Amino acid sequence: MGQVFKALADPTRRRVLELLRAGPMSAGELSAHFPVSKPTMSAHFSVLREAGLVESAKAGKSVTYHLNLSVLEDALLGFAQTFGLGTVGRARPAKVSPMLRKATAR
Amino acid sequence: MIRPIGIALATAAAILATSALAKYLQSADVLDAETGRRMVQVVVGLALAVWGNYMPKRFGAGGANACASSRAYSAVRVGGWSMTLAGLIRAGLWAFAPVPVADVVGMLVVLTALLVTLSYGTWALSRCRPRPRKNASA
Repeated sequence: MGQVFKALADPTRRRVLELLRAGPMSAGELSAHFPVSKPTMSAHFSVLREAGLVESAKAGKSVTYHLNLSVLEDALLGFAQTFGLGTVGRARPAKVSPMLRKATAR
Repeated sequence: MIRPIGIALATAAAILATSALAKYLQSADVLDAETGRRMVQVVVGLALAVWGNYMPKRFGAGGANACASSRAYSAVRVGGWSMTLAGLIRAGLWAFAPVPVADVVGMLVVLTALLVTLSYGTWALSRCRPRPRKNASA
């Protein structure tokens, strides 16, 4: 249970779980939502996997993740989201590239 | 990680142990028949809650495609929540409500949870059926 609390304490990992609610996603698709490096995201994925909150399946070169939450873990996730536990270092939306910013400013 | 068979065996053992204990205490004149019945029914409710809690983990998110996979997960999630809540309500009713109320309402709560699980599961999975092609006969 300690691993579950550790996994849910981080806002980035909670955001990953929120994204996976929509359905299974590959590691690349998930990483695109965060302004952090791939090794950092990989570390987050391994914490979630070790806590048993996500399951991964390898398909060719890509790894697909899907949710694996019990009702209690789901409730804990909702509680952590509602009360903003571990808000230090809150996940920010992905940075918009300068090219895209120029295009949308026109 | 706890395996599904471990959960099933633990809940079955808890129900059997509680009923054996209640029977023993009744024969020793420590408990009356009603309290013994309440004890067993509370454990049955809690066992249902525990089983419902692990339901999404047990069935996972298998599916032929992304749509089926996400729908299957949302179906077991709704099922897990409804079964867990029904189990907790049933346990609470058998702990505190009068026996006739606990008997009827407890059963209705579990039946409602079962109905919610089945109807939501059917609705969710039917939304991922491939649509027939318009020019299939051509």
